[in-house]
Amino acid sequence: MTMLKLGALALMTGWFFWLFVFGPLYSHLIAQGSALAAVLLWSNLRFGRRETLSLLKFCLPFVAFLLAFGLIFHFTRLLGRQDWLKDTTVKCLVFPSSLTFLKIMLSYVTYLDILRLPLSMNRRIEMITVKSAFQKGARTLKRFSWYLNTYSGLKSRHRIRYAMTKYACLIIALYLYLYQEIENSNRLLKNRYRHLG
Amino acid sequence: MMRIDGGTYTLSDRNLVLDIEDGFELSGQRCRYILFGANGSGKTSFLEKILIPALDSNGVDFLYIGQDIRNQLYTLRALLATMGLSVINADERELLRVWIANSPTARVLVMDEFDKFFSDVDFIFQWTNAVIQTCFVVTHHDQPTSRFDSENAGRVCRVRFELTGQDGEVKRVRIRQEKP
Repeated sequence: MTMLKLGALALMTGWFFWLFVFGPLYSHLIAQGSALAAVLLWSNLRFGRRETLSLLKFCLPFVAFLLAFGLIFHFTRLLGRQDWLKDTTVKCLVFPSSLTFLKIMLSYVTYLDILRLPLSMNRRIEMITVKSAFQKGARTLKRFSWYLNTYSGLKSRHRIRYAMTKYACLIIALYLYLYQEIENSNRLLKNRYRHLG
Repeated sequence: MMRIDGGTYTLSDRNLVLDIEDGFELSGQRCRYILFGANGSGKTSFLEKILIPALDSNGVDFLYIGQDIRNQLYTLRALLATMGLSVINADERELLRVWIANSPTARVLVMDEFDKFFSDVDFIFQWTNAVIQTCFVVTHHDQPTSRFDSENAGRVCRVRFELTGQDGEVKRVRIRQEKP
């Protein structure tokens, strides 16, 4: 049953990515817009409005960068192309929709599912610790953002510079946290398994 | 510098109503507010929802050391790294020291249950003595403690957080400064 479930999730993920990221509907703006709307609705039902908005907010700097570069390429007619705006718009829709879809799919994989996988215990422990760390990381992200808002050392007269520096700090802090968290959880689980076995 | 007036503050997202009997004065003179009370009496909520926003909106530079300091240290390490400071192998104390040393414009220090993680708290006051004028210290003890009294504290004021009532999920808390 578990293998059936995980197989279905993998199939759906593969189908979504083939259809909207690598395949026939990639350059269709209406299809991409509809996919994003559908995925956001699903995310809203699954995780709630706050978490969905939080994920969108997380994507915003990436999307802003994509847009900025797209505009530069469009106005400079880079490589002689005139479709930079359309291509950039597609990318701005694909990125949040594929990220949100992946998050939704992964959220259906439970710890019990991982334990039932036909893998070595060490491999299962690794998957459990990664899942646990990413779940904690998602909750901790908001707290990190709160702390960064209190640091006067970050504050700058230039809003864009402040936003970029804050975002960089957020990514670094999250990376450090996940690294530490995965290491600690992995060590703890392996130690307990060794003594229980 | 600024003042937080007495009055009733409703924090709907925290299910709290805070009745501040006496306002908090942040002038140029040294002052240390020691906040104490039972768990869940709104001390952290007061810091995060009333004090810090007030400091922010009045443009007062402050140092805030939160209750979940272990998580906060990740953000400090990231912040100091983006400032070009080498903190890769720095332990907790060193991170705090470097952060404080690179915050010369801070005038207010806010610490939430710092004494839960460090048995000796004097070092933080020694490091901040040169710049900090006002301290808000939440102790994780539910009674006032003399651990935060020190020579350079200036005026020390103990602030009691007391639960006075509950209406469903909403707690009512009185915040009162005790006379010395």
